[in-house]
Amino acid sequence: MRRLTLARMLIVGCFLLFGSIPGHAQLTIDVIGGGASQIPITVLPLKNEQGYEQRISEIVSADLRRSGLFRLGAVGSKRPFPTEVKDVDYPYWRAERAQNLVIGDLRKRSDGRIEVRFRMMDIASRSQALGFSFVVDVSQLRATGHKIADLIYEKLTGDTGVFSTKISYVVKRGETFELQIADADGYNPQVVHRFDEPIISPQWSPEGARVAYVSFERRKAVVYVLNVFDGTRKVLAAFEGSNSAPAWSPDGKRLAVTLTKDGLSQLYLINADGSGLRRITYSQSIDTEPNFSPDGKHLLFTSDRAGSPQIYRMPVDGSSDPRRMTFEGRYNVTPRYSPDGKSFVFIHRNQGRFNVAVQTIATRQLQILTSGRLDQSPTFAPNGKMILYASEIKGRGILAAVSSDGRVKQRITAQAGDIREPAWGPLLNNRQKESQ
Amino acid sequence: MNKVIIAFSVAVLVGGCASQGQQVAEVEQRDLFEETQRDAELERAEADKQAQIQQEQEELKRQLEEQQRRQELTDSEEMGMPDEPVIRPLSDNNFGTGDNRDDPWMQLNEPDSLLAKRSIFYDFDRYDIKEEFVPVIEAHANFLLEHPDFKIKIEGNCDDRGSREYNLALGQRRAESVKRAMTLLGVDENQIETVSFGAERPLAFGQDEANWSQNRRSDIVYPDQSL
Repeated sequence: MRRLTLARMLIVGCFLLFGSIPGHAQLTIDVIGGGASQIPITVLPLKNEQGYEQRISEIVSADLRRSGLFRLGAVGSKRPFPTEVKDVDYPYWRAERAQNLVIGDLRKRSDGRIEVRFRMMDIASRSQALGFSFVVDVSQLRATGHKIADLIYEKLTGDTGVFSTKISYVVKRGETFELQIADADGYNPQVVHRFDEPIISPQWSPEGARVAYVSFERRKAVVYVLNVFDGTRKVLAAFEGSNSAPAWSPDGKRLAVTLTKDGLSQLYLINADGSGLRRITYSQSIDTEPNFSPDGKHLLFTSDRAGSPQIYRMPVDGSSDPRRMTFEGRYNVTPRYSPDGKSFVFIHRNQGRFNVAVQTIATRQLQILTSGRLDQSPTFAPNGKMILYASEIKGRGILAAVSSDGRVKQRITAQAGDIREPAWGPLLNNRQKESQ
Repeated sequence: MNKVIIAFSVAVLVGGCASQGQQVAEVEQRDLFEETQRDAELERAEADKQAQIQQEQEELKRQLEEQQRRQELTDSEEMGMPDEPVIRPLSDNNFGTGDNRDDPWMQLNEPDSLLAKRSIFYDFDRYDIKEEFVPVIEAHANFLLEHPDFKIKIEGNCDDRGSREYNLALGQRRAESVKRAMTLLGVDENQIETVSFGAERPLAFGQDEANWSQNRRSDIVYPDQSL
């Protein structure tokens, strides 16, 4: 079937944040290294896209290139570019060594909205591999580009695309700290909270509508939950002592937090509305950095109960004692489950360097993925293929990303200030797969 | 007499934290070199005895000085209360002179005194108090004992390597260890509040050991004098 499907698209990515302050800093992403075998793809300019500030073919190309898994082909010399299936000159594109060819156009509708049509042609079989039409507002063109990149990525790699997701992070500029949210490509940064006291540990709720984080604005650590759509914020945990390390349960109904209200840092569960506090670890040591398994049954956390910080796993219901997971080295911290629950990333101290490592839960196989001096705060992309983390270059905080096999590396810098504490947001709920 | 007990409890606290590895080594040696060990034990006992004698002498000397001072006090101040117990810091590096003894703020601001030292520094990923900082803690503990209406805040800090959340917990543990040392010295725990800033409030911003070591500290913070 070469039918073009009209997919009604709700782009949640607009993030019209109530009362948010536009960020000054755009993020720049550089790709270092690439996948073992890159998939060839040729993305041609879509007809009429030049009339808009956001050129969809450029957004799609940048997304695919940034993943490190694609090799972008030249657009050839034939003009005009094909926009319909019948226009595609297969022998020409075969001679150009194109394998997957993206074509399409934009059409302005009478209601002011724009219809974006795109197809991906398989040159070898002379058939359409993908074909979609979106009717969107002009403000949604960029998000539409990410959506198209997601569809291409899924078709050609078999994995879920994460180009339409959001990231959050903290920017420190002098004495000012900003919690920012941006598109996964670093575009469109929004300041959602700004204060002259430190902000750490932002964590996205599973449905992507809320971010829990720790602010020191009360001169001590307090956990807040921010609604990113309406900008409202409430205190989640402000008990006596320190309140920190929020971690959402997969159903978004409760969080694990670290509190010192009963002495040393211990783990507690608390409902997302701040009710129902319950202590879940009882040790004479530091227990912190909880992280829920994707099935919600287990927690990974950091504890120094054996004399040095190591990673432990325990059932959330406390039905058995915590089990130690890491044994290599004397400093293993910040565990984060992979989306499939089969492995976890963490920070491993190795010969004085602090690096991102990944360990398979079943085999305990440890692999060091990064080589920075002071890497921190790893966070998985929701498809499990990339890990975003904090790093530094010449004393300046930057974000970096590495593929879960360690092959592809990206570096993300803000124009000014230190950037740190990244958290990769979830896949949006209404990103259901359209039928073809 | 109180002071001797205080000195011992701090020594035990510090020793207990720092020397676990050493103890293991000692056990192994005892099996191999029992005789050497016995000699060493005799030597140690002798040394202990000497130390005790010395301590007793010092204590005596201190008590005498005490009496002398008390005499001076009652001589100069007719309204003085001779029955009030007088507690003084242990260290010979005294924080005040007789002149400003009655003004706590002047004591605290005496530039060359132990009370002017407000920071305890740590090794990486450690929270035990190194011996060199025991006199500082003692001085502040004694000050708080003398001024039960004073409340302090102990702020735990870390260098920013590793995990920000683990460092937040470690900073709390550092602050708590100073608080515990002070309460063991007799300070009312209600006079001490602890808070951790983790790695979030560095004093030094470079990325090397010289900078990191300045950031691994507990700060003893007195309330603003203007309050």
